[in-house]
Amino acid sequence: MTAFTINGRTVDVSAVPNTPLLWVIRDELKLTGTKFGCGVAQCGACTVHVDGEPVRSCVFPLAGAEGRSVTTIEGLSEDGSHPVQQAWVALDVPQCGYCQSGQIMSASALLARNPSPSDAEIDEAMRGNLCRCGTYLRIRAAIHRASDV
Amino acid sequence: MTPQRFSMTRRAFLAGTVATGAALIVPLRLSAALAQPQEGVGIAHAFIRIDTRGQVTFVLPTSEMGQGTHTGQAQVLAEELGADWSSIAVEMPNQPAPAYRIPSGQMRSVGSFGIRLWHDPLRRAAAQAREMLTQAAATRLGVAPTTLRAENGVIVHAATGRRLPFGDLVEDAMQLPVPDEPTLRPDGERTLTGRTVARLDTPQKVTGKAMFGVDVERDGMLYGAVRLAPVFSADVEAFDESSVAGMPGVVAVVRVPRGAVVVADSWWQAKQAADALDITFTQTAADTLSTDEINEMLREGLARTDVPVTTLRGDAEATLTTEGQVVEAEYSVPLLTHMCMEPINCTAESSEERTELWIGTQGQDVIRMTLESAMQVPAERLFINTTYLGGGFGRKTHGEIALQAALASRAVGGRPVKVLWAREDDVRQGQYRQTMMCRFRAALDDDGNITAMRIRLSGPQMGLEYGFDPEERAQATGNLANFDPFSLGGLWDMRYVIPNFVVEHAVVDLPIPLCPWRAISHTYNGFFFESFMDECAAAAGRDPLAFRRGHCEGQTRMLAVLDRVGEMSRWSEPAPEGISRGLAVVESYGSYVAQVVEAQANGEGVHVERVYVAIDCGRAINPGQVEAQMQGSVVDALGAALNQKVTIRDGRAEQSNFHDYPLLRIGEEPSVSVSIVEIGSPLGGVGEPGIPPLAPALANALFVATRQRVRHLPLSDHVQG
Repeated sequence: MTAFTINGRTVDVSAVPNTPLLWVIRDELKLTGTKFGCGVAQCGACTVHVDGEPVRSCVFPLAGAEGRSVTTIEGLSEDGSHPVQQAWVALDVPQCGYCQSGQIMSASALLARNPSPSDAEIDEAMRGNLCRCGTYLRIRAAIHRASDV
Repeated sequence: MTPQRFSMTRRAFLAGTVATGAALIVPLRLSAALAQPQEGVGIAHAFIRIDTRGQVTFVLPTSEMGQGTHTGQAQVLAEELGADWSSIAVEMPNQPAPAYRIPSGQMRSVGSFGIRLWHDPLRRAAAQAREMLTQAAATRLGVAPTTLRAENGVIVHAATGRRLPFGDLVEDAMQLPVPDEPTLRPDGERTLTGRTVARLDTPQKVTGKAMFGVDVERDGMLYGAVRLAPVFSADVEAFDESSVAGMPGVVAVVRVPRGAVVVADSWWQAKQAADALDITFTQTAADTLSTDEINEMLREGLARTDVPVTTLRGDAEATLTTEGQVVEAEYSVPLLTHMCMEPINCTAESSEERTELWIGTQGQDVIRMTLESAMQVPAERLFINTTYLGGGFGRKTHGEIALQAALASRAVGGRPVKVLWAREDDVRQGQYRQTMMCRFRAALDDDGNITAMRIRLSGPQMGLEYGFDPEERAQATGNLANFDPFSLGGLWDMRYVIPNFVVEHAVVDLPIPLCPWRAISHTYNGFFFESFMDECAAAAGRDPLAFRRGHCEGQTRMLAVLDRVGEMSRWSEPAPEGISRGLAVVESYGSYVAQVVEAQANGEGVHVERVYVAIDCGRAINPGQVEAQMQGSVVDALGAALNQKVTIRDGRAEQSNFHDYPLLRIGEEPSVSVSIVEIGSPLGGVGEPGIPPLAPALANALFVATRQRVRHLPLSDHVQG
């Protein structure tokens, strides 16, 4: 069994320890806001926070979460009130929306450690999050907007 | 999602009830020209449902995959109905498939049709509902209907200030006949369309609550992972179920066409077992197929002499052999795959009596036909719940995944099974955008105008798979042989005025599964044609914009977007220092889009700084979403033009994931300026038309920068990237 905290709740999970955290989050804990996109840490759709740091949960083994605190999009705020979520709403960032949980988790981790990132710092922090709809222009604008809050 | 079922007779609609009690349900009926009623098949496809609490729900006919179709359609409906925008709800239908039938007999979300096809029928249905509510109020109040107005979910009698909410009128309105010829609101009252309103789905999409196919959860659900033949035309020779029987969680191994689905308690377990499965596939003639061989076949198509002559106008061959300067060039594009961020998946619960699916699909009727032919599932026993799509781009028009899920469910006694492809399956199993080659010859007169053009396209046809019979279409369009709109769209119907004009298609069958890719043939024909126009302009020694304008006599929409993008980019002035500019204009899906690319190209590679976009899509229902589609299309098309290709070796795709099939990443995106040209044109599409001009505009900019003409995509194969 692997015990960890997810969105403030303590869970004890029976999946084998090398199971990627993504599948535990989605299929066992039924938190489906975190998405599967590539399975090899190339697209960022599965991004969650572990102790506040963004990680690609598709390659992060369950064992690595033992005793740690995991936050998913469902735990970022109860009601979509996190400044990043509000900025995303204000600028109508999502199109298909599939990558946006991961985008928002990467952006919120960025802003937590760097409240006013430059464009270059945004590029650096967000390069791991792909969007086939091509919403990068609005993502960048929304991060700047959230950084002003 | 609570399942709602509606029977399909008109009477049943009016008497229909839903979980919340009585409700006024107005069916959407297509105009006579579009509706093709068939025996026993309803022609109502989308609905306005108003319950006794006044909740207005729109049950919409096209799938939401990011293009904003739900918000735009709801704007049209709410405005005409007089609903309160802040409280409307939208749903997708989840009825027996026959009820889905829409134009051409198909429920599909393709061809950028969401607004341009549905605008009028939706508006009419909303007007019908409004008139029924208004009549009910008029009777109740003892006043003439003409003294009443519907606004914000209330029928208002202005003279007395009396107000009747929709919900209070529903039970009376249900008893009234549906008016055949409702009066539409005058333009001056159209205040919800034509302006930017926030997308209805954004709040769900920033909180992780939006339900995509992959998120569906059913009691007792099992998970399936696939192991499919790596060579497209191969099938299973044998597999040894015992090779995975002892693996954790494994429940069953299910034979499906060209492979197997391994069913397990979790997807991760299913995936481990699918990878470990001892399976062999049949040998095929395509086992040695390579990109080089495909290119050889396409080149052979360019040279063939047995392709029917297909003159659209005048006599190009005579003119080409007798008149002045001749310009010639050959172009090619590779196979592309779709890379929807949400990999292919479907959840099925299937027994002899009933098959229910949960899937983000663009092709409900394709699924119906697939299950009908492969599993003999009768349409009346099939229920399809359409979720949000994590991208579609044409890939999710296929039925194969639904068949895999339904077969898997049958194999485990009807338990629900969610079958999900890994990204590698998605990349390696197609379906792909066609690879094509094209050769142009044009004659220029002494003034540098094109007097004749002959175009030879070489590559596969795709239309037959989608119900287009090339011969039937050839007759319908005159004398264009081999007419396949999925191959020739953007060539045969291009808008320039060229008096002698021939297009021909040397059909080259490839053993590769093909599928529409956002903007289909316009992706490559736009690149071919607009690159070649630039070559002609250069040969004529003329400015690319002026040269195009010179071939647009009477083409108001072409001229309007060309002039707008010229203004936006200050085309008549010298380009900024270090910047090279390229231009392209393409009509597709009823809209005209011109783009100017500003790029830097030096020894260190190519960087696109800015793209100007002018679009004429008729009236923009939601300008903010038109802008969003243009921004996204530029990014999407730039990634494809620069970097994307699927190559074939030993009969299989060589690429597998985002590392070898890269999308553009943040930081690589240009600035994008969008201008919407409104000159009273008919409604056009928005989801696809932003794609085609980008690649040629970029190649044309590179020519300015380097004097090198890149005629083959992706550009990074030819230019330092």
